[in-house]
Amino acid sequence: MVEPEQLRPAGGPEPLLRAEGLTRHFRVGGMFSKATLHAVDGVDLTINEREIVALVGESGSGKSTIARLLARIHQPTGGEIYYRGRSLRKLRSRRDMLWYRGEVGMVFQDPFSAFNPVHRISHGIMRNLKLHRAELGPAERQSELERVSQSVGLSTRLLTRFPYEMSGGERQRIGFAQALALRPKLILADEPVSMLDVSIRAGVLNLMVDLRDREGVSLLYITHDLASARYVADRIVVMYAGQIVESGPTEAVLADPQHPYTRLLLSAVADPREADPAFAADTGEPPRVINPGEGCRFRRRCPFAIETCHSVTPLPRPIGSAEVACHVAGTPATHVAISAERASSD
Amino acid sequence: MSAALLEVDGLTIEYLTATADVRAVEQVSFSVQPGEFVGIVGESGCGKSTMLFGIAQLLSPPGEVTAGRVLFHGTDMVRLSAGELRHMRWRDYSVVMQSAMNALNPMKSIGAQFRDALQAHERISGERIRERSKEVLALVGIDPAHLSSYPHQLSGGMRQRAMIAMALLFTPQLVVMDEPTSALDVVAQRSLMLKIRELQERLGFAVIFVTHDMHVVSRYSDRVLVMYAGQVVEAARTDRIFEHPQHPYSRGLIEAFPTVSGPRRQLTGIPGSPPDLAEQLSGCRFRPRCPVAFDACAEVEPELVDVDGADVRCLLYGGAATVSEVRSDG
Repeated sequence: MVEPEQLRPAGGPEPLLRAEGLTRHFRVGGMFSKATLHAVDGVDLTINEREIVALVGESGSGKSTIARLLARIHQPTGGEIYYRGRSLRKLRSRRDMLWYRGEVGMVFQDPFSAFNPVHRISHGIMRNLKLHRAELGPAERQSELERVSQSVGLSTRLLTRFPYEMSGGERQRIGFAQALALRPKLILADEPVSMLDVSIRAGVLNLMVDLRDREGVSLLYITHDLASARYVADRIVVMYAGQIVESGPTEAVLADPQHPYTRLLLSAVADPREADPAFAADTGEPPRVINPGEGCRFRRRCPFAIETCHSVTPLPRPIGSAEVACHVAGTPATHVAISAERASSD
Repeated sequence: MSAALLEVDGLTIEYLTATADVRAVEQVSFSVQPGEFVGIVGESGCGKSTMLFGIAQLLSPPGEVTAGRVLFHGTDMVRLSAGELRHMRWRDYSVVMQSAMNALNPMKSIGAQFRDALQAHERISGERIRERSKEVLALVGIDPAHLSSYPHQLSGGMRQRAMIAMALLFTPQLVVMDEPTSALDVVAQRSLMLKIRELQERLGFAVIFVTHDMHVVSRYSDRVLVMYAGQVVEAARTDRIFEHPQHPYSRGLIEAFPTVSGPRRQLTGIPGSPPDLAEQLSGCRFRPRCPVAFDACAEVEPELVDVDGADVRCLLYGGAATVSEVRSDG
């Protein structure tokens, strides 16, 4: 086992999780097809201890693929993931994998298909306890079962029920309870509230903040909704077509979005009376990332695209406290154009 | 109100099961004017989808309309035979279901599904079918080339648009939509809602739109009905309900959302969950979750009362009826 200390890069402590140049391509089409879907392309991502990072983007932007890569459901086609300084490539034995899966839990989007319908609710939690915390005896397992269900606000009375008897919010809490049973350091939550009622949504969002504050868990919160990202996250990472287009501290990114795509996302949740006129015609069609060439992937939807955008892929560069991958953002000319437009739309 | 396109009058729907009769919708009355956009909001389990099915006459046993009428241009749809209803469906009113992935046939191309609907209602030439199919696809902003596409080849947003295109094949006067946007991301959601609103203004059909997302209706509907535990708890014009929500439940729904601007405030949501309708309920149904409940709420079942132009079911505004009165009818 490699000691994390040895891998710590100079300057700053090693983050809990660090991905470098993370890439995942899928071959699509028939047997002889040369088409490659670039689901995730060269993503650098860090998650620190006790931090909630919101990964934001629309359907098809590759956010779920990232969660699956981090959960080791998919293997990356390129790049490295380091967890506490250990490369995930080096985790090969069953023991190592069990260790990693115990450290990193996952909560899925659809609480209606994430549970085995023939088992009672307690089954999944108990199974996790048996697999990952074998040292517990039956009585301890039972008390741990009760502890995790209480910590997600689920009455223990419900544990003997079957999934079909539960509401969506209850099921999503079970999802978190299952993940929590592992005593994870990191929970990957893939759109955990998008299928829930609004009244319950707040509860699950608060639960995530609570888990960070009380249990010291870090979370990767995947969502397409900037408003809920703002509510829970310390840092926001915006993805488009498999690449990160903007990242930075939540308030900074939302108060002054630099990338045109972040602006589009923001205008979709804002009041229509303040909607961004630059994106009035956007239909929200997800990008096609099959064999993408050079150039900015957002250029076809971008009202500010210039010549360079068609030939050169923009790389992330710091603007203010954020990192932005855009040729146009931050240049004086567009900034004036953007603010003028904003002023006129108010 | 005589010109109303649809008039729902005292609609009560029950699920008659072996163990209990569940009254999922109780005494709901409202009307929809031609070209109006009515939003129906509430949590899951509040009876909003059941009511929608009751209106569209799509209930299947054990669900049954046990009281009330649904008048479409004065005709009570509840009493129509299956044959008469089949004649009206698609043509006079159509339904857009929540999950387009499940509502479209995965084995048939979009064009073939359009053809089925068209042929079910009139003798129509192949050429006319193609023409009309292309027209409706163009309406919703999909390239007509997708007529030969299968549902899995379309994105979620496009599938929902295709469903809406299908609902417009005969340009009905009423389109009933059950959470068409809930499976979409925010950008596609906004674009779909703008499309629905635009088509509605252009073609003049009325929309009944069911959602749990207050924010979706806040921007597009003319009027909002808030449902709780099978009853309407507040009904008012949209701007009115958002600026001055009267019922504590409406207020809770509006405040359950985080915002992208302004101060960050703690969200409480609405603690608890809707009551089990199979149980005998007394007093105000929202009482166990209500932040402003008082003693009388436990005993007196509130009725809908007019509060400055909004219908509100809450004792804060008067509106007391005795428990027995409401329970014994039906």
